[in-house]
Amino acid sequence: MSIPLRELIADPTPAELQLIARYGALKSNAARERSFEAFARTGLPHRRMEGWRWSDFRAARAVLGSPAQRERVNVLGGSDASVLHFSGSRLMGDGDLPKGVRAFRKDDAQAFGGAEDSPLGALTAALSDRPNTLMIEVTETPDRPIHAIFDGVGETSFARIVILVRPGVRLNWMESHRGGAGLSGALVEFTLQAGAAVERTVWQIGTREEMQAVTASVTLDAQAEFRQFVLAFGAGRTRIETRLVHQGEGSRARLNAGYLAGNGMHVDLTSHVRHGAPGCETRQVTKGAVRKGGKGVFQGKFHVPRIAQKTDADMQHNALLLEDGAEVDARPELEIYADDVACAHGNTCGGLDAAGLFYMRQRGIPLEEARAILTEAHIAQAFDDMTDKGQQSALLSMAGVWLRAVGS
Amino acid sequence: MLKLDDLQATVGGEDNVTPILKGLSLEVPAGEVHAIMGPNGAGKSTLAYVLTGRDGYTVTSGTATLNGADLLAMEPEERAAAGLFLSFQYPVEIPGVPVMTFVRTAMNSQRKARGEAEISAPDFLRKAREVAAQLKIDTDMLKRPLNVGFSGGEKKRLEIFQMMMLEPKFLVLDETDSGLDIDALRIVADGVNAVRASDRGMLVITHYQRLLDHIRPDRVHVLAGGRIIASGGPELAERLEQEGYDGVLGEAA
Repeated sequence: MSIPLRELIADPTPAELQLIARYGALKSNAARERSFEAFARTGLPHRRMEGWRWSDFRAARAVLGSPAQRERVNVLGGSDASVLHFSGSRLMGDGDLPKGVRAFRKDDAQAFGGAEDSPLGALTAALSDRPNTLMIEVTETPDRPIHAIFDGVGETSFARIVILVRPGVRLNWMESHRGGAGLSGALVEFTLQAGAAVERTVWQIGTREEMQAVTASVTLDAQAEFRQFVLAFGAGRTRIETRLVHQGEGSRARLNAGYLAGNGMHVDLTSHVRHGAPGCETRQVTKGAVRKGGKGVFQGKFHVPRIAQKTDADMQHNALLLEDGAEVDARPELEIYADDVACAHGNTCGGLDAAGLFYMRQRGIPLEEARAILTEAHIAQAFDDMTDKGQQSALLSMAGVWLRAVGS
Repeated sequence: MLKLDDLQATVGGEDNVTPILKGLSLEVPAGEVHAIMGPNGAGKSTLAYVLTGRDGYTVTSGTATLNGADLLAMEPEERAAAGLFLSFQYPVEIPGVPVMTFVRTAMNSQRKARGEAEISAPDFLRKAREVAAQLKIDTDMLKRPLNVGFSGGEKKRLEIFQMMMLEPKFLVLDETDSGLDIDALRIVADGVNAVRASDRGMLVITHYQRLLDHIRPDRVHVLAGGRIIASGGPELAERLEQEGYDGVLGEAA
């Protein structure tokens, strides 16, 4: 390396110096170096950067602290899932995966292809060390779901999984991002070969003291199908980013999410979908609800180049501002260069329906419960067509608990 | 049972307050069905909303009590738990909440407010099936989100379904006949007649006499300009039908 570590980031903040120090302590290789340099070009993302206006990670914390450890609950997976547990320092459970799933750790994982577009994904790729980098190859449809649990500890925790799903194979994949570190980063890279199908269910929770970045990249070969359902409760800063490319003809994607942000919580759902082949379909439904002092961010982009004729894409984002002092920022974007496509988007932001609330109260349902029921029904629409009904009810019951908690 | 004394109410916020009820007095004893008839703009729906406590309606003077309890001091849900039920002129769509879930939540909320035990799931199901059969409601409809995509007639039928499930002490029917064809009207009226009881009162708000052929009132009141300007037996409704509001109003003036 020619550049001294300390000069990688111009005018680094104390938090960025912590990240540089962490990088310096790792055994370097070309892929890691490339990822860290991509991150170093911007440093921690801040409000003057494209795509980060409402999600300033640099200003949020001068120094990355070590949050107090807390009790953790398990929501996803049920009893039959295989569990991969990233404890913050190491990974457990990769020896007990179902038939058809091979996992191996590598010192020199491939470079993260999306590093230039995703600074926190690049940071995660650079700082995930060997005990926290896993390659998974799925060669036949497993008989049970796989559940990856990401826990953080201390100032920073990073983990990275690269998943290759062979042709025609189906995978039920879950992630729980439970925070715990000053800054947690998780990077999951999916490649679905022809006709493969993945349902990815994500649950994210954190505290005001923490920052979390969950980055996913998805590549779909012909006729592959990727279905994603995210329920996010946010943290001091939370970025949940999905970058998907339709690479083969006739692939399909569903990118749904529900977010619930309480006082002091920030949650950012950002997605970028590139239709790189003709005849692909994308469906996206994001439903949010934000309380006083909370902030929700939705940024969605569909990029449809000329080659992508017969694209069928729809993006919907609907947010509820539950109280005065709640904030939602949204930027839906369609960039279309093909002429024979069906692309639509809708974006709404408002309060609960007053007529509906009165109707429910007239039937005897107390105001707070009526608000919870209407909000829950709103969020539930993002999870309507989950295949795994067990996970669906697990997620919705978490939403219900949050909505009925006092002062959440 | 229901007693309104010199009730005055306005609609609207600070800048555009409009007086609607201007000294309305009315008493409906237990066991009786009273009809409120009146021309458009007389204050019929306002009366329904004032009784049930909707936001945007302000009572400026007078009293309203149900079995001696001060309705005006209660939140809408407390009024419901006290036994007041409004069949809405325009029932509201509640996306994502199936009819059965909604009604059970409402019933148990009311029971809880009254200090009663929740209804068991089997008891609730049995009762729902009985009432649905009586109202010729397909049980599949009860699994759908409340009022979403329902026809006007279906919505009205569901209002009566909820009423029969919740067994209120006093019910207010606001233009329940609007949007109903003649068969649906008969079914709805049969439902209402089935719950007539010596300890239950009803206020039937309607523009036309048609509904009163099916739900025979004990008394008929004519509401105009925010006050009751004439009261009488069922024959008053027939006179209104024949002479029109202008005829009866002209005489009262």
